[in-house]
Amino acid sequence: MSGTSMLPQKRKVPLPENEKKLYDLIWSKESLGIWTADMKRETGLTNTAVTKALKSLQAKNFIKDVVNIHNKGKKFYMAVEFEPSKEISGGSWYANGSLDLEFIRVLREQCRKHVASLKSATIEDVCQSIKDSGIFKMECTMQQIKEIMGAMVLDKEIQELTSSGDGEFSHIPAGRKCYRRSRAGAGSTQGYLTSVPCGVCLRIDDCSPDGIISPRTCVYYNKWLGLDF
Amino acid sequence: MVGQQGINYAVCLMSTHFGDVVAVCECLIRHGSLSFLEVVRFTELPQGQVKNSLLVLIQHNCVQAFSVPKTVGMGGITKPVTLYMILFDNIIHRMRFSKFCLIVKEHLGHQCAEFLEGFLQHGRLTFELLFDRASGLTEGKATRNDVLAKFNELVHAQYVERCPKGEPFLEPKSDEEVSSIRKRIKSSGDTRTIEQEAIIAAAPLDADRFSGIISLTLNTEEVMKDVNNTLETSAGSKRKHEVLEADEDMQNAINTTEVLWRVNYEKFVRCLKKKACVANVRSRLGLDAAIVLEAMIDANDHQNIAMNSVTLSMNSIIEGVRGKPGGISLTLERVRAILNQLGSELCPEESGALYTIGLKGIIENCQNDEVESLVLNKYGKEAYRIFRMLILADRLIAMDQISDNTFLEKKEAQKILCKLWKDDYVEMEKVNLNAGVRAEVFLWKVNKKFLWEHVLNDIFHTALNISKKISQVTEECQVSKSDEEKDKRLKRARRILESTLLKMDDAIMLFHDF
Ligand code: SF4
Repeated sequence: MSGTSMLPQKRKVPLPENEKKLYDLIWSKESLGIWTADMKRETGLTNTAVTKALKSLQAKNFIKDVVNIHNKGKKFYMAVEFEPSKEISGGSWYANGSLDLEFIRVLREQCRKHVASLKSATIEDVCQSIKDSGIFKMECTMQQIKEIMGAMVLDKEIQELTSSGDGEFSHIPAGRKCYRRSRAGAGSTQGYLTSVPCGVCLRIDDCSPDGIISPRTCVYYNKWLGLDF
Repeated sequence: MVGQQGINYAVCLMSTHFGDVVAVCECLIRHGSLSFLEVVRFTELPQGQVKNSLLVLIQHNCVQAFSVPKTVGMGGITKPVTLYMILFDNIIHRMRFSKFCLIVKEHLGHQCAEFLEGFLQHGRLTFELLFDRASGLTEGKATRNDVLAKFNELVHAQYVERCPKGEPFLEPKSDEEVSSIRKRIKSSGDTRTIEQEAIIAAAPLDADRFSGIISLTLNTEEVMKDVNNTLETSAGSKRKHEVLEADEDMQNAINTTEVLWRVNYEKFVRCLKKKACVANVRSRLGLDAAIVLEAMIDANDHQNIAMNSVTLSMNSIIEGVRGKPGGISLTLERVRAILNQLGSELCPEESGALYTIGLKGIIENCQNDEVESLVLNKYGKEAYRIFRMLILADRLIAMDQISDNTFLEKKEAQKILCKLWKDDYVEMEKVNLNAGVRAEVFLWKVNKKFLWEHVLNDIFHTALNISKKISQVTEECQVSKSDEEKDKRLKRARRILESTLLKMDDAIMLFHDF
């Protein structure tokens, strides 16, 4: 098979003028798709003409409507031969225009489990050990694991370190980025301010020792100190 | 620069500790350095009261006097004028006296801690006064030599230092005079403020500062030498102050020829900074890493005033580590791995490689933790993830990248960012990618400098609120004696408040002193 024959081919069927105009435009946008309002602007066709032509093209299975995650209210169309690009679909974490929360949850759970059992591991190690476990029917990409682990670092569930190549990192070449479970645990550090009502109080800017809102009369304080008798 | 709440807190502290003196103190905090007459004018207090207040403030190291040249009259003759500057940090240090005593008690024992308490209570003392106090405490049992030995221990460990000069004279640069020198105070940037220059000019030489007293007989000679020096310099510069009588009394008190000693706050800030760094590393990287870091800081302590980083050779690190409880089992390989985790930089020297660890980064970590926990508590898990991403990135980031990296729907991420933006936790910039239609992109970032100031202000505010509540509860305790149950509850509340105030002070140190 030649390289070019892999690319989608535009259909060469005669179409009424309006439909042809629209089909050419939609085709030219490839995997990005196009919004109906932009079609009207670019073709100069009226509202009804566009609606009618789109209906007909869809019935003939030339085009399909797709969800744009940036704006689910806007109607986007694309030639059936194309798959929505990352810009439209949101990428590998999206299914039908929404974040695939269940998939994310399960993959995250798996990453957590494998990092814990490996003690310290590189992205590749985690990827391989998830693959070996055979839990997913379809393969997870290295990029997906990397993105999930990135979010786990942000949540302080795991920490990113550089391997020293010896001791507990002896199985990882020196200088490589690796991960292990956080000691402190996810976001568990109790802050100074969060241990006092004022620290999270929404009225702090209106509160002053001699004001109407003051520590003297503060209900949060009395509750905190067990003085609300 | 501290914000409004920092000032309010300092004023509250001073009024609890010294009552009336607070008026003069507040005046100097709000107006900057002033002359005696200016203080009288601003406070509208009798001269006698201003004089006494200033003397108390100087005695307790909260004010430093210094003099600058000023042109008077038509003839353009310059005369020195004395200004008084407030030492804001030293006021806030007053909250920490119990922490300071504990540090000395753990390091040098009970008796040294008792002597330190003397300095903390009285501000400045001569050795004689310290001895009198010790004598009183031990009902006359303390010998001069014993007291001297303990005193020298305190000085050599740098917990106590020789007081700075009472009133350094700042030579004018070209024709600069007070008003123009004062302008320098306001202009930020690299140039040192006149106050900073005065502090430098007042500081004793390092050799004098921590030399202690060699022997009591020698000491008298030293005092005599000092007296002569002072007389010579004052005669040499032929400065004659044009002062009021009250001001003159003060000059005499300030420019005393006695050798005075006081607590060296810098050293205690370093001790507490070490504690904070070691605790942070222990929780992040484990006990062994904490041992290595502590050993490195201990070995660097005396040469390193600001303590932004610590540097040591591997041999010295190992030696220090072995001297710590739990350190004996750490192998060379393990120590090397820990140094790597601590992000140490290796610098080859002739005498062998030196390892450097930045403490600034560790302190930043602690500060990030504090603000992040605030975000987690106020705005939830997702906001916490976004905020951490922005803190770690430390640059402008586009909306789409934020929602992608944090696994949030765009709408949701946008909602959270707007909330954070409304409360000043993040900054937003709108950019138009191409002049075309609907190409506006929102970029977000955390402005740490601004946000940190805001957080510090809230910490000061919280500390102020707790202090006020403590006074209120204490008052109520006094009238509730008959109601046993109420009394018990009030006392319990006071204990909670007092221990929380100490923690709040840790937070002040983290954002203000370290
Ligand atoms: S004292 Fe009460 S009202 Fe005032 S800031 Fe604290 S919690 Fe809020």
